[in-house]
Amino acid sequence: MPSLRVLVADDERVSRTVVGAMLKKAGYEVSFVSDGDQAWRHLSGPNPPPIALLDWEMPGLAGPDVVQRLRAQEAQAPVYIILLTSRDSSADIVTGLRAGANDYVTKPANEDELVARVNVGARVVELQIALAERVRSLEEALANVKALQTLLPMCAYCKSIRNDQNYWEKVETYFHEHSGVSFSHSYCPTCYERFVKPQLDALEDLTRAQREQKGR
Amino acid sequence: MSPPVLDPTVLENLRQLTPPGAPDVLKEVLELFLEDVPGRIERLRAAWQGGNAVALQRAAHSLKGSAANIGATALLGVCRQLDELGRSGDLSSAAPLVTALDGEFARVQSEIKTLMT
Repeated sequence: MPSLRVLVADDERVSRTVVGAMLKKAGYEVSFVSDGDQAWRHLSGPNPPPIALLDWEMPGLAGPDVVQRLRAQEAQAPVYIILLTSRDSSADIVTGLRAGANDYVTKPANEDELVARVNVGARVVELQIALAERVRSLEEALANVKALQTLLPMCAYCKSIRNDQNYWEKVETYFHEHSGVSFSHSYCPTCYERFVKPQLDALEDLTRAQREQKGR
Repeated sequence: MSPPVLDPTVLENLRQLTPPGAPDVLKEVLELFLEDVPGRIERLRAAWQGGNAVALQRAAHSLKGSAANIGATALLGVCRQLDELGRSGDLSSAAPLVTALDGEFARVQSEIKTLMT
């Protein structure tokens, strides 16, 4: 598993360096920016880091403003956001979480706590990636089912189906290729009476006739 | 005995952040501190002289973060009071704190220089 990228946004170089060193030690790939506007550009741009630690008070956009803007964006790749704050009054924390942050850490950061909280973020991010992958494969399967539901040209006599390459395929082959369905061959009671029974009767008549001939 | 200028537990934790074979994180952080802090103290002083409570609070707030990160307990205390004062908007009692800030920074500075030699 490659190490996850984490963006640390803080104008204060000492804090930024300490937080960065804690995360690097825990195995994360860390990049730094020194104000809210740069953080916004990184997070709203292509291929944003999956986890970001934003200082509450920094030049340009403040941490909660960056979060709010980011959450207002549509089709945004989800970024797990932790606010770094020295404000530990519960009202401020509520403001930060309401703005759309996933979590907060009070400064100065305690190494064990910071790493534990970022690890929670990493688990959420990995889960989101796995879910997105699952949705993608389900959508693919659904697309195949839809392809089957469209109008199929079928021969009225032999029941062959014309495929996309303009080639007449047996029903069994066509469905097997398009949906992975396999067929086992049998006969229904009506066809048994109509086709199979006469053949069996004829065979029986033939055997009887042969036996009578030998006996003669 | 007066408490240490820099909390030894904090310093040790910083030293422990150094990856094997890499330059000492503690040294890097202390150097950054010496580079960054004087300018911000100047900004704080200018804000105080200009009666700008918002700018004073901003400067005090960021100094507070730096001081906390290296375990400069006494300096942190002064920054915290200045941060609150700036937030209140009333700078009339700021003068002794600004003087204390200079004194505490000088102590931290000489402590760091001792540590690094």
